[in-house]
Amino acid sequence: MTGFDIFAIAFVLLVIVTLFAGVKTVPQGFDWTIERFGKFTRTLSPGLNIIVPYFDRVGRKMNMMEQVISIPEQEVITKDNATVTVDGVAFFQVFDAAKASYEVSDLNQAIIVLTMTNIRSVMGAMDLDQVLSHRDEINERLLRVVDAAVSPWGIKVNRIEIKDIVPPADLVEAMGRQMKAERVKRADILQAEGQRQSEILRAEGAKQGQILQAEGRKEAAFRDAEARERSAEAEAKATQMVSEAIAKGDVAALNYFIADKYIKAFGQLADSPNQKIVMLPIEAMSILGSLAGIGEIAKATFGESSASAQAAARRGSVPNTGPTPPPFTPRP
Amino acid sequence: MTEMFTSLGTWNWLIFGFVLMALELLAPGVFMFWLGLAALLVGLLSFAIDLSWQTQLLMFAVFAVAAVPLWRRVALSHKSASQSNPFLNKRTDALVGRVFTLEKPIIDGAGTVRIDDTIWRVAGPDAPAGSRVRVVQADGASLTVAAV
Repeated sequence: MTGFDIFAIAFVLLVIVTLFAGVKTVPQGFDWTIERFGKFTRTLSPGLNIIVPYFDRVGRKMNMMEQVISIPEQEVITKDNATVTVDGVAFFQVFDAAKASYEVSDLNQAIIVLTMTNIRSVMGAMDLDQVLSHRDEINERLLRVVDAAVSPWGIKVNRIEIKDIVPPADLVEAMGRQMKAERVKRADILQAEGQRQSEILRAEGAKQGQILQAEGRKEAAFRDAEARERSAEAEAKATQMVSEAIAKGDVAALNYFIADKYIKAFGQLADSPNQKIVMLPIEAMSILGSLAGIGEIAKATFGESSASAQAAARRGSVPNTGPTPPPFTPRP
Repeated sequence: MTEMFTSLGTWNWLIFGFVLMALELLAPGVFMFWLGLAALLVGLLSFAIDLSWQTQLLMFAVFAVAAVPLWRRVALSHKSASQSNPFLNKRTDALVGRVFTLEKPIIDGAGTVRIDDTIWRVAGPDAPAGSRVRVVQADGASLTVAAV
């Protein structure tokens, strides 16, 4: 082998190696930093790139896609001294490959530690109830603080989410009991309210009923009074008519009525099957006395008309007993 | 072994070229395709002209180096012609020209706007919260705004 042979082989090898060193194809989603003698000079964007071999070297291959890192679990003491276990996730994207490569030593670790410490400070300033119910607020406060802190590193934190907040078991149990008590309380109140409502409704119904009843009674009393008035009027009218009739006729007619009624009543008394002894009040004797009056009526009637009666007898006719009195039936 | 290569003669270059091209398919992103092209070219030339194997090797090296600028031109023209998504991995560039409402006032040149449910810090002339601003420049994660 001559020197020229070796030279040719060595040259080809050198060319191939040089080409490998000088031609760089950067895949989409990555930016490569170029260091000339160890010092950053420029950034290669995705696609075919040519760098100067021997001088330039690829430094860092920075992922320019949005990345997610999980924030490990840690214990946080809230303002009211409850210890909760918290973990989360952070989404960030590199915008400046050079800064992300050289301004910070371990980017992921830096973001994780920064977020963890900020979770402590944000949650430590809140009560347990707030911590559990204000996740959005925690996320946003974390995002503001962490995003501002990482800006010198050429990255942007797009989102920080608290994943799990786990209070200690005994606290969870107490919270469960509290919630149950709350519900029981609500149920009790609702039941009592229902009872109250129903009692009110019932009382109202009873009241209404009583009012209606009283109104009915009132109406009935009014009508009764009216009826009594009407009957009194009728009585008065009847009495008037009787007295008018008497005034037109004879007082004897009245006596006849009384006598007639008395005898009928007495007859009923006597007819009564279980009465063998009839007790008559003393005053009844005076009523009996009216029988004498009846006799007198008859005497007066027949005496006065004896002449005409005799005349009538002669003629064979019935003696005239005078005009028949009007029928009298008193209202019950 | 050596005898086999020497007996094949110029066919070596063509076979070498095809092997390189096949390797390129297996390991994309590496430029073995160019080396393969250079090898094929050397092979074809050595069929036409009788060349010593040393000269053939040197020619291969020259072709390989020459392919770089050529290939780069092709790649660049390809890039500019069919860039269907120019804002891929350049999120802030897509925001230029859009109008947003200031969430926090710009004081001493720094404020915040809310974009796509995250908070962006913006730089620009002082303005009260709630005023509308247009993104005029994006440089990495920093946005420059101007009052609308």
